[in-house]
Amino acid sequence: MKLKINNVHKFYGEGESRVEVLRGIDCEIKDGEICVLLGPSGSGKSTLLNIIGGIETADEGCIDIGDDCTDDMNEKQLTLYRRNHLGFVFQFYNLIPNLTVKENIEVCAYLSDKPLEINDLLKTLGLYEHRDKLPSQLSGGQQQRCAIGRALVKNPSLLLCDEPTGALDYSTSKEILKLIEDINAKYHNTILIVTHNDAIKSMANRVLRMRDGKIVKNYENETPIHAADLEW
Amino acid sequence: MKNPLNRRVFREIKENAGKYLGIFVILACIIFVGSAFMVTLSSADITLKNQENTRMTEDGNFELLQEMPEDAKKFFEENQILLEENFYVTENEFLEKAKVLVYNERETLNLYDIFEGEAPKNESEIILDRLFADNHDIKVGDSITLCGNRFQVSGLAAFADYTSLFKSNQDLVMDVQGFGVAMVSREGFERFDKSQITHHYSYRFEDRDLSDKEKKELAEDMQVSLVMNGCLLQNFLSADHNQCISFLKNDMGKDGPMMEVFLYILLVIIAFVFAVLTGNTIEKEATVIGTLRALGYTRAEMIWHYLRPTLLVTVVAAIVGNILGYTVMLEPFLSMYYSSYCLPPIAIQFSMRAFAITTIAPVVIMVIINVVLLYNKLVLSPLKFLRKDLKKGKQKKVVKLPDLSFMSRFRIRVILQNKICYLILFVGIYLSGLLLMFGVGLGPLLDHYVENIDQTLPYEYQYILKAPVEAGGGEKVKMYSMSTYSKQYDKDIEITLMGVEKNSSFFDYVPSAKEEEAVITEPMAKKLKLKAGDEITLKDSYFDKEYTFKITAVCDYDSTLGIFMEREVLNKLLGADAEDFNCLVSNEKLTIDEAYLAKYLTRSDIIGATGQLMDMFDTVLKVFSISSVVIYMILMYILTKTVIEKNALYISFMKVFGYNSKEAGSLYLHATGITVILSVLVCLPLQHLGFGALMDSITGMIEGYVPFYLPAWVYVFIAVVGIGAYFVINSFHVRKVQKIPMSDALKNRE
Repeated sequence: MKLKINNVHKFYGEGESRVEVLRGIDCEIKDGEICVLLGPSGSGKSTLLNIIGGIETADEGCIDIGDDCTDDMNEKQLTLYRRNHLGFVFQFYNLIPNLTVKENIEVCAYLSDKPLEINDLLKTLGLYEHRDKLPSQLSGGQQQRCAIGRALVKNPSLLLCDEPTGALDYSTSKEILKLIEDINAKYHNTILIVTHNDAIKSMANRVLRMRDGKIVKNYENETPIHAADLEW
Repeated sequence: MKNPLNRRVFREIKENAGKYLGIFVILACIIFVGSAFMVTLSSADITLKNQENTRMTEDGNFELLQEMPEDAKKFFEENQILLEENFYVTENEFLEKAKVLVYNERETLNLYDIFEGEAPKNESEIILDRLFADNHDIKVGDSITLCGNRFQVSGLAAFADYTSLFKSNQDLVMDVQGFGVAMVSREGFERFDKSQITHHYSYRFEDRDLSDKEKKELAEDMQVSLVMNGCLLQNFLSADHNQCISFLKNDMGKDGPMMEVFLYILLVIIAFVFAVLTGNTIEKEATVIGTLRALGYTRAEMIWHYLRPTLLVTVVAAIVGNILGYTVMLEPFLSMYYSSYCLPPIAIQFSMRAFAITTIAPVVIMVIINVVLLYNKLVLSPLKFLRKDLKKGKQKKVVKLPDLSFMSRFRIRVILQNKICYLILFVGIYLSGLLLMFGVGLGPLLDHYVENIDQTLPYEYQYILKAPVEAGGGEKVKMYSMSTYSKQYDKDIEITLMGVEKNSSFFDYVPSAKEEEAVITEPMAKKLKLKAGDEITLKDSYFDKEYTFKITAVCDYDSTLGIFMEREVLNKLLGADAEDFNCLVSNEKLTIDEAYLAKYLTRSDIIGATGQLMDMFDTVLKVFSISSVVIYMILMYILTKTVIEKNALYISFMKVFGYNSKEAGSLYLHATGITVILSVLVCLPLQHLGFGALMDSITGMIEGYVPFYLPAWVYVFIAVVGIGAYFVINSFHVRKVQKIPMSDALKNRE
């Protein structure tokens, strides 16, 4: 599903302390693309991700995803928008501690009319043997796999990943990125990854670079490499 | 597909088993005591109402000095009033000290239910009130002597006009040991000396739809008709004013609402405790909530999710509470009624009202309070939850603290951080302390009351006469009853006018010499909030006249709500002969012909009956005392544990910084300790006020006045129990704090 960001502005604060954190963002991400959003801290990339994700609202502009537009959506409609179109993956997993791996994934399957087959997904995630374990019994990488499975199970058209490898070591990070790549190949979701890690851009179909609330670079990567081949 | 979050409900309860179990225990206990109480109350109420109709309870009674002439009976026929010659003889020294009224067989009114045995069939058989018989260990088949005649007990019964055993209608409390009623057959009654017979008549209006006003007017006409027919009327009493009939009905009518209010207060506290626990869980799970909301869970779904542990515990507690209420607890409550009142056998019936109060109300209260608080917590955006920024609106200003030591400022910050928890703890401490105060304070309060009566009663014997008769050593007194309307209690209060001698050797205060002036007793002054200089209007309902008096002084005479004046003045006021009297008081036992004697009271009769009250409440007071300590402990445990859990991470940080377990714990535990100790101490005067207000409302229900009094040790005891309970709980927490690992602080955290 195509994602279109139309002239998005966002301000924080009031009066003299008012700061414009997004200064008219315009861009388009094609259906099935892996898009990497890069930028230093404070550049506005997380704010943009939150606006796309419908957990923050733009002060001007809107997000078009398929036939839906976030402009003028109320709280209920935004919840429905997230429920129908989006999957979220966070840096710190945010798994429910007293549910097993499988149950954590079921939490989102419940929200979908046509969820993916859970056992199949668990196998794709490499978590089938761990399905009855609690999050505290898993490594960081396994927990992030579980978080990805949870976001993916409702087969969202757009998967938003906020620093998905930020809390992981080098090899585990590569495992997670490889998993994202595999998922994209298998389920054809549009994936937006926000990261500090410049190396990840090499696996993307599209790269957006932000600075001071603006997109300073937006280009298609003609020859993306496999996540397994990434180095940093 | 079932929502997988459902599985968390049981796990959440299991993980916090201690806290939820504590609440469950309190809630189930409240519901099971409330349910048993309400069901017994409603079943007893139904039984009582049935008895009124099936056993033809009287609408009133009166006594005549002689038998009623036939002409006087016409009034009753013409006005469709049923009349029963309910004659009795009085035994004043049954088993040395008990008073028993032996009635002639009843035919129409005030019939009875037989508990055991059968009605008297011949002249030597008698039935006794079941409660009185139980209290004196008299069984069917035993022989007893009453007024010089020997009878065999053929049965034990409950009489419709004696559901409560008040020896005198003026008495403050029932006397289930010292007073009883019995009934013999017509032939049996013939055995008594005619001079001993009291001509007691009961009446009942055939038309059961008469209004109170119509009943009152008919009763007034009845008195006029009796007087006009030459009857010497005494003690005219409507059923509403007859404590033997109305006390139980009124008592039950007041017990119910009091219990309801008590239940609702406790339920609201529990609802807030739940809200604190849920609020704590929400803070702990902020990022999970943010994630779920970001993934598409609605706010309503989240509210429902976090409401369910509360709802589940409440519903299970309601079910368990009701089952226990209907099985285990019914018997004690029934026996409490049976040991205090002379009721027919109570058939337990399902009460929709009890069900609504003890089952539906707890669920509704929990849902309303928790939904409001959950909505309030979950109103924040998913992003705020993800950022763990759970403050609404602008950042609150930092409270500036005085220049205290670091430790003191730290503890004040902990108290400010947990103010809601501590506020609920404060309310819990207040209510538990109030219960405890009631449990341990009622005994000394009644002792003090009895002591006051004993100290201020100036004579040893009091003889109420049917007709004036002199006896050597007895001082003449004229007694007369009137009533005054109390706006505060919204009812007529009965006042005894005492006409005493000018130079009385018993009453050392100077009665007023003027008709319109009076000295009132201290209980009357306190109950009606009167003082010297005030005016009071009394109504003589027999003659429908009103009298206004100016109060000149308040005197120490604690056994009655009364007005003192010179006997001559009182007689003049009432239009009676200046020398008239109807009572003798004395320090020696007098010899008076029984034909003249209506009532005879000794000092121990007057003050002794109060002891019964303590016997009646003994079990309830023990339950109050124990349950208050349990509530103290559980509330303290749950709420103080919540504070520790909320700060476990920071306690762990403190340990990493170099504080030892004791120091780290003391930062948080001492803050709680200071709050608990301050709460216990601040609550004492508030509980004092609360108990005073409670006693004030009880005073409105009873005929007399019990002054509020609590000895200092009660306050010390409550403080010691409250603080002691905290230290017991604290010892558990000290161990818990020691177990918090330092690794908690070093884990990867957002």
